[in-house]
Amino acid sequence: MVNLTIDGKNIEVKAGTTVLNAARAAGIEIPTLCDHPQLTPYGGCRLCLVEVEGARTLQPSCTLPVNNEMKVHTDTQKVRDARKFVLSMIFSERNHFCPYCQVSGGDCELQNAAYAEDMTHWPLQPNWKPFPVDASHPFIIMENNRCILCRRCVRACGELVGNYTLGFEERGAESALVADLGLPLGESSCVGCGTCVQICPTGALIDRWSAYQGKETEVDSTKTICQGCSIGCGLDVLTRDNRLVRIEGNWDDPISGGLLCEVGRFNPMDDNRERVLTPMLKKDGSSKAATWDDALAAVKEQLKSAKGKAAAVVSTRLSVEAMDAFKQVCQAAGIEKFFSTEGSMITGPATKAASLLGKPFETKLDALNYADTYLVVGEDITKDHQVMSFFMKRRLPDGAKLIHIGKAESGFKNFADAVLSVPAGKETAFLGDLKGLLSNDSAVEKVAGTYGLDAALLAESVKILKAGEKPAVIMGSRYDFSDEIAAYNAALNIANDLKATFISTKGNINSLAAAQMDLDNTVDLSGVELVVLAAGDEVFTQQFMGKFEKVPTMVVFSSYVSPLTASADVVLPVTNWLEQAGHFLNLDGRLLSAKAALTAPEGIYSNADAFAKLAESMDVKLSSAWESALNAATAVVVD
Amino acid sequence: MAKPKVASDWLAGCAGCHMSLLDIDERIAQLVELVDLRATPITDLKEPDKDGVTVGILEGGINNTYNEEVAKKMRSRCKILVALGDCAVFGGVPAMRNFFTLEDSLNRAYIETPSTDASGKVPSSPELAVPTRVRAIHEVVPVDVFIPGCPPDADIIFFALSELAQGRIPKLEHKNLMWN
Repeated sequence: MVNLTIDGKNIEVKAGTTVLNAARAAGIEIPTLCDHPQLTPYGGCRLCLVEVEGARTLQPSCTLPVNNEMKVHTDTQKVRDARKFVLSMIFSERNHFCPYCQVSGGDCELQNAAYAEDMTHWPLQPNWKPFPVDASHPFIIMENNRCILCRRCVRACGELVGNYTLGFEERGAESALVADLGLPLGESSCVGCGTCVQICPTGALIDRWSAYQGKETEVDSTKTICQGCSIGCGLDVLTRDNRLVRIEGNWDDPISGGLLCEVGRFNPMDDNRERVLTPMLKKDGSSKAATWDDALAAVKEQLKSAKGKAAAVVSTRLSVEAMDAFKQVCQAAGIEKFFSTEGSMITGPATKAASLLGKPFETKLDALNYADTYLVVGEDITKDHQVMSFFMKRRLPDGAKLIHIGKAESGFKNFADAVLSVPAGKETAFLGDLKGLLSNDSAVEKVAGTYGLDAALLAESVKILKAGEKPAVIMGSRYDFSDEIAAYNAALNIANDLKATFISTKGNINSLAAAQMDLDNTVDLSGVELVVLAAGDEVFTQQFMGKFEKVPTMVVFSSYVSPLTASADVVLPVTNWLEQAGHFLNLDGRLLSAKAALTAPEGIYSNADAFAKLAESMDVKLSSAWESALNAATAVVVD
Repeated sequence: MAKPKVASDWLAGCAGCHMSLLDIDERIAQLVELVDLRATPITDLKEPDKDGVTVGILEGGINNTYNEEVAKKMRSRCKILVALGDCAVFGGVPAMRNFFTLEDSLNRAYIETPSTDASGKVPSSPELAVPTRVRAIHEVVPVDVFIPGCPPDADIIFFALSELAQGRIPKLEHKNLMWN
């Protein structure tokens, strides 16, 4: 422990703490610009300069480690003058005219820093050579003229996301933020996660959608969770007058640490699908608007006449409360066949394995932050569950190794130590052979030949896997395995042999809950005459919708219009993910709570409420014991 | 003791800061109890007194040689010079012209605009002021008080003027300081 004095206060902190953090611990705020709690300190902006007795010059507190008996002063005239000088230098370098910038008025850390120093003008007027604006990316705009060269974006793109797209070229006044080696951002290796946009202190990096829609002081903020995949990253949803303004990651989130991917941050801004606004009933071949009472009466009729030949299909994006209510009301109507819109892809096998074993065995996502070798199979995690890929990619510069059993054009191809492009359909067999190679690698050439792989690459991969001290095996949920359970077990066997931590990606936001509630089965509609589909706000593929072509009668609960709602006999409008609250079981087995950030139009109910209304119209009493329904199944992930 | 004299003028500005000044509404009656309002663009006298005023207020930035003359004259005839508004303090919206060449700007204004017919031409009378790079006032003459804002809030202007009226240099801080 180290003892020092800051502004006359005695403080004791661990050795290695920076003066900035020591001051914060003592409740003393030192202004910063290039510093960020998620990033390693940089010492670039010099706004955090402090006086240290005995030191020749002012010192940057963000990079200065504490020393015993150090005496620090953060608020002397010399320090205040230095801060004003640093800010006036920064202002003189580029375009910092506030009136035309969208972050002006609360969202700009540079402006706020100047206000905090009571600066009324620029002592030195700016003079710079204009940089071109890069608006080539669908979501992100790069405005070098407002950049203060703090490099937060560069550090975030590297340290937090592991993508290393952003960097600086040239020097001095010509220093410019570039993507890759000077490509337009829209043509670069950028994955569109938007971490750089969120972390930029000024308006140098902005997103197109939210620009000028509302300043920090004008928007409402709701803390909720992303429902784009099973990770459930923590979100700050900014809204104004019941309209979505921007989605930001919550830096304090225990799962994601503030990271988001384009699926969570930007895709929701670009949703132009048509909403279902009223219940619809099909009469004489055409759908007409109806009241909830009439529509529910029609559903009740349909369920009565299809007794025994009905099936229920539930979206794995629904909350636990909604799924439980849906299950109860369908069971009360005599339905015994339950399927999910996702069909058991690798979430079912996880729950089955847990119940066979009698106890949880998978690890939490956080294990990836400590592993030194990754074996990824079953999914291109740079497309789905992207934040998981960030956790892995950012460990690679420290020497971690990554092997992807997947397609040659895998998103990992510029990062992995090996991409083993095993032919589709042969992954399970390959995993079996790989297991053999781990104990005896003499058959490497033969195995390589069987699957069309390069023998040297396969041998190298085996060597890497065996050498790993903290290996992690990640089983994806997006490949089309003919036997999911066999595939899952093959990956699990390898993990056991390697003594590796094992994580399966578990599909959508609530696939795990659906699997634990026995709802996650692949759609099989042979002999079914009526389907009740709780579609939520899902987007369906042509292939999925084709499964319902032969079903004579459809009742669909949906937020959005689709070919399925167009041909359904009864359609009931429900809220989308932003408009409803509920609980979700993420891939860590954590029960996450989502809150509503927007209010749905009048006449549209949340999924849980819609099913409750159906139950009421059928005189069915619902129990709200969804928690015990979940706890009845063996947990998959170790707590 | 005689009331301090106050004069103002506007340069490359939109007059919005003077409108914001007028937004102090009935408080102007209080103000003229304390000060002697001399030349302003909206009163009868048009030039600051030859024997000087206490407070000179300038709105707008420096855009041509005439603005330079006016600014220099005001500086030489006042004890305390106030730069009022973003254009005077920073250069403001007119400063966007600095990103283009003077030739391009003049062509755009006098020849290429949709409302100009084929006889449009850039004026070149020797009596006209010569356009220059757009500058903040303090790039041409020393300024004593800066009141940023576009426009500065009427309350902030009233605060500054009442401080000056009572012989103090106004100190803008906390919520009185608002560039945005």
